Parts: sequence; structure tokens; C-alpha cells
Amino acid sequence: MTTMLRAAGSAARLGPQPGEVIDRAHRFTFRWNGAETAAYAGDTIISALAAAGERVFSRSFKYHRPRGLLTASFIDPGCLVQVGKEPNVRGAHRRVEAGMAVRAQNVWPSLRYDVMALNQAMTRMLPPGFYYKTFMAPRALWPAYQMVLRRFAPGGVVTNTRTDAYFDKRYAHPDVLIAGGGPAGMAAAVAAADEGAKVLLVEEEYELGGHLRWGTEADLATLRELRDAVAANERVEIMTNSTVAARYDGNWVAVAQRNLRHVDERLIKARAKVLVVAPGLIERPYVFAGNDKPGVMLSTAVRRLINLYAVKPGDRAVVFTANEAGDAAIADLERAGVQIARVVDARRGGNLVRARGRGGVQEVHLADGARVEADLLVTAVGWTAPTTLLTMAGGHPVYNHRAARFFPSEPPEDVLATGGIVGDGTLDQLLAHARAVGAEAARRASIRARNLRAGNPTAPSVDQRSPDSSSSSIPDLPIDDSPALFRSATHGIVDYSEDVSSKDIFSAVREGYDSIELAKRYTTATMGPAQGKLEMVNAIAVHAEAAGRSIAETGSTTWRPPYAPVTLGALAGRAFEPVSVSPMQPWHERHDARALIAGHWIRPDHYGDAAAEVRNVRRNVGIIDVTPLGKFDLRGPDVPRLLNHLYVNKWSKLAIGSVRYGVMCAPDGVVLDDGVTGRLGEDRYVMTTTSSGPETVWRWIEEALQTEHPEWRVHVIPVTAAYASMNVAGPNSRELMCRVVADVDLDPEAFPYMRVRNGRIAGVDGCFMWRIGFTGELSYELHVPAAYGLHVWETLLDVGRDLHIGPFGIEAQRIMRLEKGHFIVGQDTDALTGAFAAGLAPLVKLDKEDFIGKPELIWQEGHEDILHLVALQPVDSSVVPPEGSQIIEGRRRIVGRITSSRMSPTLGRSICLGFVAPHLKEPGAIVTVRLPDGGHVPATVMEHHAHFDPEGVRLRG
Amino acid sequence: MVDRAPLARSPIDPAPPVAVVDGWEVSDRQSSAALRIVDCTPLAKVLVRADGDGEAARTLDVGFGNARRDAAGTLVVGDGPDEWILLAPPGSAPTLAQRLDNLASGEFVSVLDVTHVRALIRLTGEDAAHLLAKVCAIDLDEQVTPNGAAFRSSVAEVVTDVVRDDQASARSYLLHCERSFGQYLFDALLDAGNEFGMDIDGFRPPGI
Repeated sequence: MTTMLRAAGSAARLGPQPGEVIDRAHRFTFRWNGAETAAYAGDTIISALAAAGERVFSRSFKYHRPRGLLTASFIDPGCLVQVGKEPNVRGAHRRVEAGMAVRAQNVWPSLRYDVMALNQAMTRMLPPGFYYKTFMAPRALWPAYQMVLRRFAPGGVVTNTRTDAYFDKRYAHPDVLIAGGGPAGMAAAVAAADEGAKVLLVEEEYELGGHLRWGTEADLATLRELRDAVAANERVEIMTNSTVAARYDGNWVAVAQRNLRHVDERLIKARAKVLVVAPGLIERPYVFAGNDKPGVMLSTAVRRLINLYAVKPGDRAVVFTANEAGDAAIADLERAGVQIARVVDARRGGNLVRARGRGGVQEVHLADGARVEADLLVTAVGWTAPTTLLTMAGGHPVYNHRAARFFPSEPPEDVLATGGIVGDGTLDQLLAHARAVGAEAARRASIRARNLRAGNPTAPSVDQRSPDSSSSSIPDLPIDDSPALFRSATHGIVDYSEDVSSKDIFSAVREGYDSIELAKRYTTATMGPAQGKLEMVNAIAVHAEAAGRSIAETGSTTWRPPYAPVTLGALAGRAFEPVSVSPMQPWHERHDARALIAGHWIRPDHYGDAAAEVRNVRRNVGIIDVTPLGKFDLRGPDVPRLLNHLYVNKWSKLAIGSVRYGVMCAPDGVVLDDGVTGRLGEDRYVMTTTSSGPETVWRWIEEALQTEHPEWRVHVIPVTAAYASMNVAGPNSRELMCRVVADVDLDPEAFPYMRVRNGRIAGVDGCFMWRIGFTGELSYELHVPAAYGLHVWETLLDVGRDLHIGPFGIEAQRIMRLEKGHFIVGQDTDALTGAFAAGLAPLVKLDKEDFIGKPELIWQEGHEDILHLVALQPVDSSVVPPEGSQIIEGRRRIVGRITSSRMSPTLGRSICLGFVAPHLKEPGAIVTVRLPDGGHVPATVMEHHAHFDPEGVRLRG
Repeated sequence: MVDRAPLARSPIDPAPPVAVVDGWEVSDRQSSAALRIVDCTPLAKVLVRADGDGEAARTLDVGFGNARRDAAGTLVVGDGPDEWILLAPPGSAPTLAQRLDNLASGEFVSVLDVTHVRALIRLTGEDAAHLLAKVCAIDLDEQVTPNGAAFRSSVAEVVTDVVRDDQASARSYLLHCERSFGQYLFDALLDAGNEFGMDIDGFRPPGI
């Protein structure tokens, strides 16, 4: 139980501010490292903590130095915290909520007394690349190293027990997508929308406005006008608390959206016709000794704290300023009651040397030798242009030494830039530039939209008038001079996220890493969560200084996606895993069928005892759901030609009412699929494929019809799901059929084996049935309009009760087909099994005019040196060699393999199918099967593939 | 001889209360939610394959990518190149197919009742497009897929035919996929529609 409540209205909380975003009427508490802390709605986690007097929020990556506020924004590197089960939350951005449990990350035993801070004493032992230098040898110790290193791994605690998380995706097709909702972004959005464009305006912060939010009264008035204009325009969709994470070819833009009530994070996959990059500028830190101490803040950070959250950032400040932002911060600080101990103006030659203090800034040393007591050191030395998205679009940032920052090069046609990233100037100049860019973006988008619609059959007819092809005039923005302030005379932190100092970069250059790209990877500078937005320019400047080159000569590193981290949940989205089920699936579930996942189908594997199911089919009658069998309705006078083309056997003389088994081969003669096709009418056929084969076969058929024989008059319609398919098998099946089938003479003479009939089953019209089966029993395969599948299934089970009917699953069917020696494509064949190897020689008709695979099969016919599919019975009938067991000769020569094996309930012994070398294929040959345990079992090659009823007496009964 | 009156079932579990309409088991639920999802599988569906430049195509008078109602109120959808699907009230497939059999004499035309091949779902409400944008990559803007647009695409990773068929000025989409995926697609749409307060509505004939 916490003993003290840190109040939202503590000494650090200021009175109402003109632009504050906190709601003083809505006050609540949350927990920080277990202590109850007060906050206002609108506070960020860190602003609430700062208001409560907290100064340290995390420990640094390598040295575990205490870290506080630096930017008070999304990228603040010292403000990553754990919120409940969510690690690495950006505390200076995330709004605090009532009851939140917030903890500091990776500290032990506490944030205040962190044992790992001892690393600071080991600075000399942790040089750049120390991983590579330290842990290379001996290799045997690497597991031990890993255990230790894992203890030091930064970041929060990832849990896999979170069940309330919801992540998803959305597609968007804006005409103009604007990255950045500051004044330029808003002005561009309104201008583009006024020209008729559909605009998606994305802003990282919770509100639109950028720097206007912490600006003057005039800035706030402009902000209100811009916000009103955006809100009033229906063509502008606003996404706040969202980040444009990436831009890929074709303006495929990824946006991480977080401002949703029921979704943790959503990935927007936007196809923007034009992308406008308007991210503003990011204030650059200054490198000097102690620059990462709590209490050292950027000018924009103190302005955010004071103006947005009404938090007093310190009591006594030194301000190091080189620009107007620093001057404005001084004014804000004075208004907030912060004592300005010293203003150090870089424009007048002033400079810092170091900040000192235990646990935070206590004293600032200046270049003029002065030492000033202060708990706050504010720096305002310059800006970084986040050209990330422009770099992703193929641009290269160009350094301007006058402005001491990088500027984007000319972007491609479908990308524009506006705002501070492009230049300086007054607010009016920026807005004028943005409006021109917005209008131009709309114009370019309209041209792209028109071109896209022209090729789209669903779109309304396109206005034949050409859109205005002349580009709008975009005014230039001035570029202000700015001092090149990157590093003081002392060394300090360059990359706050990775704990990389300027000394480390000097060291890397001395070691030969004279390329900025290599030095980046060696030191890991710019590779932390801030991803270079704070530290890249300083890293380049320090590297240039160390290498004795200019910044322009040094160049920049490459900014790659994502601009800001995206959760793995958002990248994954919802688990779209389509599944297919038959109309009888509810019955299977009610009767405890064990599910078998076969591709996208869920099928009943068995209902408890597959062997009993086999015995019942052999003795009585069983039914199996075979709905997943691929089915195609084939129509037209040229169907026989198509069948002859697809199958290896002949189809020209298939009579109406007959069905025939067929095998398809690929052009290389390899078995592709098999099934039966029946002729239901003069020009109407139904083809079945394997359960896993319909997609492949359909592509095969369409390729034949669309590319090879477009002149054939054939229509092929996939009807797999149209019919609930079930096989009725067993000696009692005819009796059962007689009880449910109308209009069909079921006498064996009238409806013999391999015939098809249309009829009415259990009162359902539009059914067809054929006398075939995979089990070797007298059987009927029924195909019933799918909506009636369950009705027919339940009727069969009902009326067949006295015939001892029972359902059987895939496992029982597989046992029975193995007893009958039927092979399964894909199990008993593989990607190398030709038709002759599979024992299909009688089926292959090489005297046909042509068919797929014929040339290769002609060649295969003359070659005996191929493996042959044979039936095998282990000599020890109790041993079932696992499928895949090798057949060997001598000690290790592989001469075949077992492809299918089961214990046969019918024969009371083990049975197999397998491939053997040619010299072992003759009946009676004994082969040696090597078992997984290293043992061996001899097996006999059988005369027929069928172990049971090889003459087929039962199925023809 | 068992010749019981058969009951037709959709692949989508009907939300209670359940009723029987034209021999189909359907949901009789009444919803007034702003965004509603209805299982319309019982609708008659007839597929036509014919030459896109032939007499049958001229008679159907609907191009690929578009849909419109004919004089009898049947929704004729240009489902693919040389392919149409016609949607009509439950039980009307045989009559419709018979009518279509005579579309063009001497021309190679195939007409097939695909009522049982496809699961059919209707989404109605202004947020229907927003919902679909979560599961379908196609641009649903008025300028690209207006009322009467038809396209085939991936919806929640299932191959689905989508028809924009507004109802009483409210945005509405018909989605049909292979029947065996029906329950999956329905569940995926329900999940996506949760944030819009989508509710299941019952099927009421004629339903189209």
C-alpha cells in the first residue's frame, strides 16, 4: 500500500496555460513503480510524473545512467517505460490513464538504486564493438556469455500471456496522404481538399498543430483557424497519434494508427496517389560532457512541458541558445516562474563545457570559466530535418552548411515536401508554401486517379477532358543562417538510446571506420529506438570532425523503414486463416470426430476407433464425408478433347452414364492428380480431383483452354462446394440406397460398377451418384446439393440403423484403400514419380494424338531404371514400418522406401505400399526395411497392389 | 422409400430465432443497427458463361465489373470476363435457369444453378465500406467502385465476389464466396464489424 499520493497539483504543476491540453476537471491516479500518482486527463505519463516532482524515468542502455526528459515527445529516449504487460511504451507521448500500472524498465533492484549502474565504472572496458572484441573466443563459453548478456538486455518485459490485445489492418486509397499535421500539413491538407482531393492527414501527436501548440497567442489563433478549416472539410480524414512508418514503391505508405478505442495498433496500408511529407523539424541535442543528465532538456521540451502540460521543468535554469526557439523558451521559463540563472548565447560566442551533478544537473560549467548552479539546462542549438520518407522515396539528403542541417533533394513526381523540412521563413511564408504544395498534390493526384480509372471496369466513365497539366507555382522558402553547433570542447552522448558517446565515434574512426555507414554499424549510433532522428546529424558531425572531413564530404546514413517502431501485432494483424468445412461438419463435431486439417479443409479423421470403423464397413455399411473432393462441371462439345489433353488415358468414347478413372501428368511425366470423370449428359461431364488438387487442376485446365486451345468450346465451372459428397460403402450399401433413392434402378445389372446416375436422394432433387469407391467395397458416391447435405447424411444414418450403419473417417478410408492397394497422389507419389513408376502403364495411352506429358512418357516407357511402386508385407506381421522408412540393400545402400503403411484390421497384419529398385519389384522378392530404431524387418513384395480382394469381387457386387 | 421434405441449410449458423423460408433454415432476427450483416445464401444464384461479344452478352446487357437489375428484378452481375451471375429470390433458380437457357440460339452458352456453390452475405450501412476496408484491398471510393460495381478480390484472404448494391440509398454490399468458406467469412466480417457496432439481421424474402 502506498503511503504517499503525489498530487497532480504539486509544486511543479503550473496554473492554467493558454494552450494546455490537460483537463483539470478530470483528475485521477495511476501507479508509478507501485506509488500512487495523480494526473489530469491529457497528461502524458511523463508529464504527470514530472508534475509530481519525478526527474528520473529510466536508466540508459549500456551504462545505466539515470535518464530524464530530453524532448518531451514521442522520440524522447529517456522515457521508455513498462505499462502493465506492454513494454517499451513511449512515456513522454502516451497519455496516462486512470489505474495505469507504470514501471521503470530493466532496473534492479530499483530505478533509484540500480546495481547495473556499476557499468559506469567499466566504461573503458566497454568500447565500441566490445561484443565483437570480447566474446569471440573461446566459443565454448558463448552460452555462458549469453546468459549474462541477457540479464543486461535493455527494454521491458515481453509477455505471451496477454489475451486482451487486438491488432488489425486497414486499406486506404487517399488521393493525397500528408505525413505531419503541423501548420504546413494542415494548410496543405485543406488546399488539397479544396481542389477536390481525398486527403489522409497523419499526425504523430494526439492533436494537430505541431509547434503552434506551444506558441504565442497569435500562433494559437492561427492553430484554431487551421484546425477549424481541417475539421470543416469532409474530404480530410484525420489520424492523430499515428505515424507514417514507411513509403515503398508506388506510394505504398504504411501508417501505424494508435488513436483507436478497441484496437491496440492498426497498420494502414495506404496506396496514396501523392505523398506530401511535412514532418516539421526535430530539435537537435548538443554534445557536451553530462549532456544526458536529468535536467538537460531541449528548448522545445521545456516549451511543451510549460505550455501543453502546465509543468514547471525546473527551478533555476541555464539556457544555451543559438536561435529564436531558445529565446522563446527563455520567455516561457520566466513566465513559468523559473529563475534564469544564465543565458549563454551562442550567437555571441557563448558555449557550454559540461553539466555536473549527482542524479541530475546541479551545476553548469561554461566556456568562459563560469560555474553556475542550476537544476535545469536548456539547449537550443539547431534542427534536424527528418527526411526519412523522402529518402525512402529515393531522395538523398543534401547538407547545407549555412543552415547547418540537411535538406531533401528533388523527390519523385508522386512525392512532395513542405514545411520546415524544406526551408525557413515566417509562418505566413510556410503556410503559403504548404497551400501551394497541397494544390499541386491534388492536381497530380487527379491525373493519377484519372489514369487509374481509365483501366478499371468498375469505375464510372472517365471525363474525357484532360485535367490541368500545368503544375502550380510553389514559392521558394528562405533558408536562415544557423551556427554549426554540434559538439562542445568536451565529449558527451551522441546516441542517447544506445549510449554511444562522441568519444566512441572518435575511437571508431581511429580503428579505421572512416565511412559513416560502417561507423554507424560498429558503434550502433542511430540504431536505437529514436532511430537517428535525434542523433544522426550529431553522429555525422562528430564522425566528420574525427575524420578531418566536412559534413558534406561525410554524407549521411540511410534512413530505412520504419520511421518509428511498429508493433509486431500491427504487422501481423488479424489471424486470417480461412478454413473450409463441409455441410456435415456440425454433425461431425456433435459426434466427437477428431479433426484432421487437410489444407484449408477441416475433416473428420475418425470417430474414436478407426479400426472398428474399417471392420464395420467390411461387414455392414459405413458412410464417409468426402465433400472436399475437387469437382468441376464441364460443358461443351469439346470436353472429350479437353479430357484427352489432360489425362494420360482415352476419353473419346465415354458413354453417357459412365465414369472413368483418369490420371493427369505434368509435362515431365510426373503424376499430378487423379480422379474420376463421369458423363452426365450429351455435353455435360463432372470431373473429380483429389481433395488437395482442385486449385492446381483448375489452373491446369484454364491454362489449356486460355492459352493452348482457346478454340475449344468448353466451359469449366468449379463446383467442389456445390455438392455435399458422401460415400456409402459396405455389403449393405445397396440395401441402404434402395431405402433413400428414387428414380434410379439400383439393380447391379442396371447400375453396375463405374456408372453414374442422376436421381433423387432422401427427397432431394438434383443429386448424382456413381458406383465407385476407394475402399474396395460395394459403394456409392453420392453428390447432393450442398444445402441438403446434412439432411441426407442424417437420413442415411437414420434409415440404416438396422443395417448397422456407422460413419467412418479419413483414417479408416486410408486403411481400406491401402488394403485395396490404391495409391494417393502426393503420399505414394512425389515430385519425381512418373506414371510408369506408379504402376500406371496400362492406363497410359501413348497412341493418343497428344496429351500433357506424352513426350516425356514416351521416353520413360523405354527406361527400366526407375523405382517401382509395389505392395509389401512385412514378414513379421506385427511390425508396421513407419511411412518414410528406407528400404536398404547391404549395410547402407538405399533401394526404396515405404510410402504407406498400416495395420490392417481386415487381414490382421501389417501392410505397405512402397517404392523399390527394379531388381526388387518382382513378386516374392524379399526386401529389407530399416526401422527408425536402427532395427530391420524383411518384407515380401506382393503380386498385386491390392492386399485384399485383388480381383475386385466385392466392389463389383 | 424415405422421401422426407428436405430442409436446406446455409453454411452459416443462423442467429436465433430461427425460421424456415422457402425451405431454407434462416435467421429471423430483427436488427435496427446502423450496420447490419445478413446471410443471404438462400437467394437463387445462376451462373452464365458465354462469349462476351455474343448475343447472350448483349441480351444480359451488363459488362464485366458491373451489376444492375433487369426488368424482373433479378440482379445481373458481370462477374468476370465472359461470366455473369444472376441473383434472384429463393427457389427461383430453376425458372431463371430455364429462361436463360434460351438466351441465344446457336451460341455456346452454359447456364448452371450455383445456389449451392456460393455462400452469400449482405452488409448494409454507411460503415460497410469502412468495414470492408479492413479486409479487402480494393478502393471502395465512389469514383472507383460506385453503386453497381462488381469485382472479385481477396476478402479476409478468401476469394470473394463483391457487388455494391445499395439498399434504399444506404450503402450495401453483397459478398459471395465458395460455400465451404461461408462461416469463416461471416465470422471474419463480424470481427471486423465489431468496432462499428455491426449486428446480425435476419433474412427476409425476397432478399434481393
